[in-house]
Amino acid sequence: MKFKKVLFFCISALLFSFIGHAQNISITGKVTDETGLPVPGTTVLVKGTQTASMTDIDGNYQISAPSNATLVYSFIGYQTLELAVNGKTRVDAKIQSSSENLEEVVVVGYGTQKKSVVTGAISQVKGEALEGQPVTRIEQTLQGRTSGVYVAANAGQPGSPATVRVRGMTTLNNNDPLYVVDGILVDAGAVQFLNQADIESVEVLKDASASVYGTQSAAGVILITTKKGKSGKLTVSYNGFAGFSDETRRVGVLNATQYATLINERDTNDGGPIRYADPAAFGRGTDWQDVIFQNASRQSHDINISGGTDNSKFYGSFSLLDQEGIVLPSISRYQRKTIRLNSEHKLGKYVTIGQTATYSNEKNLGVGNTNSEFGGPLSSALNLDPLTPLIETDPAITGAYPYTGENGIFRDRSGNPYGISPIVTNEMSNPLAYQESRRGGYGYADNLMGNVYLEIAPMDGLKFRTTAVGKLAYYGSQSFTPEYYFNNGAPGNNDVNNISRVASKNFYWQIENTLTYTKRIDAHNFAVLLGQGSYVREGEQTQTTTYRNLPVDNWQEASFGFQVPEADRTTYANTGADNKITSVFGRLTYDFNERYLVQAFIRRDGSTNFGENNKFGNFPSLSLGWVPSKESFWPENNIVTQLKFRASWGVAGNDRIAPFRYASLVNQGFNYTIGGAVVTGSTITRPANPDLKWEETTKRNVAADITMFRDLTLSLDLWKHKTTGILQDLQLPGHSGLDNPLANLGEVSNTGFDIELGYRKKLGDFTIGLNGNISFMKNKVESISEGLDFYGIGGVQSMPGDILRVEVGQPFGYFYGYKHLGIFQNQAQVDAYVNAEGNPIQPNARPGDFIWQDTDGNGAISADDRTKLGKSLPDYTYGFTFNIEYKNFDFNMMAQGAAGNKIFNAMRRLELSEANYQSAALNRWTGEGSSNTYPRLTKTDPNENYSRPSNFYLEDGDYLRLKTMQLGYSLPKDVIGQAGMSRARIYVMAENLVTFTKYTGFDPEIGGGNSVGIDRGYYPQARSFMLGVNLTF
Amino acid sequence: MKTIKRKLIWGFAGLALIAASCGEDFVTASPEGEFFEDNYYQNEEQAFSGLVAVYDVLRKNSSGFENMITMMNAGSDDFFAGGGGPSDGAGIHGFDDFTIDPVNMPSSFYKDWYRGIARANVLLLKMPQANMSDAARARFTAEARVLRSFYYFQLINMFGDVPFITEPVLTADLFNIDKSPKAEIYAFIEAEMLASIADLPVMLPAPASPTVPSVEAGRLTQGSARAILGKIYLYQNKWSEAAAQFAEVNGTPGGTSQYGYKLVENFASLWSVSNKWNSESILEVSHTNLSNAGWGNWGSGSDEGNSVNQMVGPRGYNRPDNSTAPSFISGWSFNPVAPELYNAYAPNDPRRDISILNIAALGNQAGYAPGDQDTGFFLRKFMPLTSETSTGGGNTELNYRQNTYWIRLADTYLMEAEAILNGGGDISRAQALLDAVRIRVGLAPVEVSQAAIANERRLELAGEGFRFFDLVRTGRTDLLTPFGFQSGKNEVLPLPFNDIANTPIQQNNNY
Repeated sequence: MKFKKVLFFCISALLFSFIGHAQNISITGKVTDETGLPVPGTTVLVKGTQTASMTDIDGNYQISAPSNATLVYSFIGYQTLELAVNGKTRVDAKIQSSSENLEEVVVVGYGTQKKSVVTGAISQVKGEALEGQPVTRIEQTLQGRTSGVYVAANAGQPGSPATVRVRGMTTLNNNDPLYVVDGILVDAGAVQFLNQADIESVEVLKDASASVYGTQSAAGVILITTKKGKSGKLTVSYNGFAGFSDETRRVGVLNATQYATLINERDTNDGGPIRYADPAAFGRGTDWQDVIFQNASRQSHDINISGGTDNSKFYGSFSLLDQEGIVLPSISRYQRKTIRLNSEHKLGKYVTIGQTATYSNEKNLGVGNTNSEFGGPLSSALNLDPLTPLIETDPAITGAYPYTGENGIFRDRSGNPYGISPIVTNEMSNPLAYQESRRGGYGYADNLMGNVYLEIAPMDGLKFRTTAVGKLAYYGSQSFTPEYYFNNGAPGNNDVNNISRVASKNFYWQIENTLTYTKRIDAHNFAVLLGQGSYVREGEQTQTTTYRNLPVDNWQEASFGFQVPEADRTTYANTGADNKITSVFGRLTYDFNERYLVQAFIRRDGSTNFGENNKFGNFPSLSLGWVPSKESFWPENNIVTQLKFRASWGVAGNDRIAPFRYASLVNQGFNYTIGGAVVTGSTITRPANPDLKWEETTKRNVAADITMFRDLTLSLDLWKHKTTGILQDLQLPGHSGLDNPLANLGEVSNTGFDIELGYRKKLGDFTIGLNGNISFMKNKVESISEGLDFYGIGGVQSMPGDILRVEVGQPFGYFYGYKHLGIFQNQAQVDAYVNAEGNPIQPNARPGDFIWQDTDGNGAISADDRTKLGKSLPDYTYGFTFNIEYKNFDFNMMAQGAAGNKIFNAMRRLELSEANYQSAALNRWTGEGSSNTYPRLTKTDPNENYSRPSNFYLEDGDYLRLKTMQLGYSLPKDVIGQAGMSRARIYVMAENLVTFTKYTGFDPEIGGGNSVGIDRGYYPQARSFMLGVNLTF
Repeated sequence: MKTIKRKLIWGFAGLALIAASCGEDFVTASPEGEFFEDNYYQNEEQAFSGLVAVYDVLRKNSSGFENMITMMNAGSDDFFAGGGGPSDGAGIHGFDDFTIDPVNMPSSFYKDWYRGIARANVLLLKMPQANMSDAARARFTAEARVLRSFYYFQLINMFGDVPFITEPVLTADLFNIDKSPKAEIYAFIEAEMLASIADLPVMLPAPASPTVPSVEAGRLTQGSARAILGKIYLYQNKWSEAAAQFAEVNGTPGGTSQYGYKLVENFASLWSVSNKWNSESILEVSHTNLSNAGWGNWGSGSDEGNSVNQMVGPRGYNRPDNSTAPSFISGWSFNPVAPELYNAYAPNDPRRDISILNIAALGNQAGYAPGDQDTGFFLRKFMPLTSETSTGGGNTELNYRQNTYWIRLADTYLMEAEAILNGGGDISRAQALLDAVRIRVGLAPVEVSQAAIANERRLELAGEGFRFFDLVRTGRTDLLTPFGFQSGKNEVLPLPFNDIANTPIQQNNNY
């Protein structure tokens, strides 16, 4: 009911907001910059009204205003200027450019702060910088544009999330930052519902400034503010682009002749007969990558309306995004529609109310099973032999098993079956057959989110604000799996068709109340904030229903309408537990003449996730700043025009664990079949730990912000974050018979150095902007758990042990395995590789095999010889943007990269011995002196050249990528003015145009949460070319 | 307008009050679909559910990739590891060629037994306070104690001396527990078994009809407990005690024993999915196609399918149209059979072709993709037909329903004969026991001897996972030497590295 009334009010307020005004005179004038050049496009506003005008191409304007009015001149990149009319009819204005707008504000959590007095390490990305950029997910806005923030796409599948790390791996657990959208706490997995065109600004709280969000802020906080609407004339804008995408690179694999030749050689090496009598007869064979990579279409449209009066402003938008993936686009696609309405209204003198509301609908078709050695189109394309034809037409083959005698064989329009490899089996499948088996499946998400707030400012400087938030999400999927036969080998086949539907719902709400008081006494500025909040994530509710044995076997007809017998139905439902947090917090901000700056904050949070002994935790932070350039002793100079030092310290928390991990619980699911029926077994699973508490990250930051030559800004941040009490499984001995309990055990430290550089200059007709950033980061696992020195976080099928490890004293996630020292070129070398007793260290080796490093020096090669082989996380990441405007043309580009990390190439499935080889195999060892890096081909592999995880599989992951490039042209104002437009711009744009890397896989940019760096066939980023328009009415 | 405003302000003030009232209680919650330990084991229903979780561990014989049958077969001389390649299953391959070490030793072969023991320990501690009938309490207690003893017996066989825990332990104390001598554990479990047998039912309730199992099928009886106890004695060379227990179980050779046990007439029917809980079954592992297991369940407690079935069949098994070959499912070609075993059978021994598939004998009626260590011979006892695949939910591969035997009557016949021979008992009874096993498959009697019994065990129980233990306990590990077996080391497996970290436990000798 309440919500309905608010809505009614919002609408009525909008309707009554356009009010007429009094007697005016006509004023003309010209706006120029400090060099005397006209500044077209300057907004001229009659202060205190919504009457506005804009300068023309010659900088002239005309406006009607009361004779005692004040005019406000504003233009991006210039300081705002106010001039009184004083009865004149001509008012010329000279505006000053500013590289840093002094009034520019930064969102800091529970308020904003003038940039000049900010003491925290906060990176900002403004909405303007994103305009027209091909951003599908909000994480992408941070890539290359912010220092200290590492962003890597998890996959090129449109709409799939990216891995975002704010200043390193803060914890051994969930390192996703917290997203706060207009004050609403949103989990990392759910931010994709945002339309980037709605974004006013994105701020990343990188240091102790994140502590304002207490228990949830250790991994950094990303604040997103959506557009509020501006008073003034109603504007309608449209931005849209359309284009196509393709793949940038392929992985080199053998063609059919090469394949047959190398298989022959391999079998001969192993003492077997030649398998393929005439390899050349096979020709090139099937290029499976030709099959999976296809041109994909892409389009995005966004329309927004904004306007209002000083008392009532609104912003509304609608957006549509439709992007196909480049891998089998008919089953790889992402569509999103969003609607937003934000508004704010003044009710009389003291009260302001406002709201934001957004609805989004997403639908995605996922190609499924990417970065997996267990099949999927990418893995299949690399592993399938090139001998098998895409479409089998030989009647001798199509007339025999399995093409006859097996159900679930897919065929092309002419009725010819898609080729089935008789030698590369298991999950590997002909991609076209695979495609047929997934048609009709999709996932969806409906997100409805909004807040309403009330502000009461009963006296100057005092403000009470209360906000209520709700976020309701419905999401799920539907899929149809027909009967299919991919090859002779489980688990490649499905004998029973099924249709399945998953429907999930969750609801989140929060209430926050804050009281702020700001006071200025002479040069002393005080601000006090007191606040309180309650946050509830209601448990997820999920239903899954599957019907089997439908009487139809194609996706078009498959339906839950078929009432299959009870025995062919399964259904599951699940209810999660609620997670609740209650908080109180307070902040004191003080500055003396914007010269000495102090900010102190404390928050106390209680959470349902922790045991009786530690339900509540305190999170203090303190930051200080000094602006020597404002001191009287600071010499007037043109070199360093502004200098600020700042330092911060604070404690942030992480509570993201499953609920009730502090308790010993009795769970079900330990079942046994008694009397022919499955009977539920229940038992304890892990011991209790009533002392369980938050992880604490102490963050320290010292920094300098420097403005040089007026146009060049430089920020240098040196930081150290240390996380203690990391929630880790206490590794119990096996005889516990229980799962490991969580305990506060681990410690991780991160140190880093961030540099952000900005330059903006107007030179005649040119406006140039350049921003660059680079972040160096060093991560060290200080401890994991008592007695536990390491654990594995990634392995590869068929290779023993873990390949990616977390180990004390090492950076998070480093590669671990055997180290080869080259290849034995002849038997003499094998015989000469002996231990202290004179016995051969590798008795099974032959010429052409790897020389394994005897790391432990015990004279034999064993698991103990494994060693540290490289890092999965980069040493540094960097990015830069460049833009230039000349008259009606504009150009911008953004590039980013990372360096210092390794990637484990695990794309060939080892135990499928007939799987195709990557092109590197052409340089294998074939005789003395032929290769020292790629061993002889062998299947029996007595020296374990291939089955041992080793530096053989590691490649440099360094890359530099030209992420976006855009060239635009704005039509002259006098032309478009006749059409009622204030802006019309057309642009061409390319994304991921070039990538510089030595990596041989599909894509060196691989995310994937904490276990990064093992490439099992990543879905690569697409290259796109797009044509777009911006129109403003 | 004014009224709206006033209402709004009051509305928000209300919200502020709601929020302000949130304190300690606000962040106290209770779980969904789970119980706090202190609130559980309160009544008979909960105690039974706790007991089922103890039974759950019996599936270790044939559930999951790391199951006893394929692992122990690989360690014997009659089978190889197999699979797709030399690195498909580091543990099973390591045991096959005795390169196994603490790192590639699969942890579950150690920890899963302790899971069963921990579940029994907590149940036995809580059950005295539960609100339940004394009869049920006595029976449940006996079942939990027998299962716990059986799990310790498995641990001793695989690892020798192991930590000995009989009640829940505080987390911190877990790190101080050392190994106990196996003699101490043997003494305990013998006493446990003896104390429990009387509280178990003599037999389970008869099934309502011949086509359905007994409603309690799968639970322990006096007969199954005695068979376990007999085996515990046998493995300690306590011959007369073993013979005495087996005699109770076996009754008159070839006849029906006091517990209703009798050799089934048709050896092949032992491996039929429609002949579960037959008269020869003493301790049987239940599998079902009804658990809808998916890959996420595999190896957890909630997958009730038989994984040996999926593992041992030939890779890429295929049949031309109108083939006369049986329609086996395609498997993963684990445990390829050594030709020596195939050739050890007399040509007229029907057990050969029931136990082993000689794929070459099918000629062009079937094809397959040779896997690792391929011999062309496959373990047919556990190879299901396509008609026996699950049509229910979950993945076909994980929902096979063939049961397997921990102990069956032919085994106890042969164990009793062995105990009699060693312990100086009635030789004629030993002869009769051996004869009964041979007569059932139409073979002529042979004179009873240790060698004859050992040979019969090899042929009768081929591929059921007992041969490695038989070779070790009877001192015939020389048969394993060609495969890399080292005396004084490989009699037991290494303790998994991670499972003994940070404890005083010493690794087993020579590992």
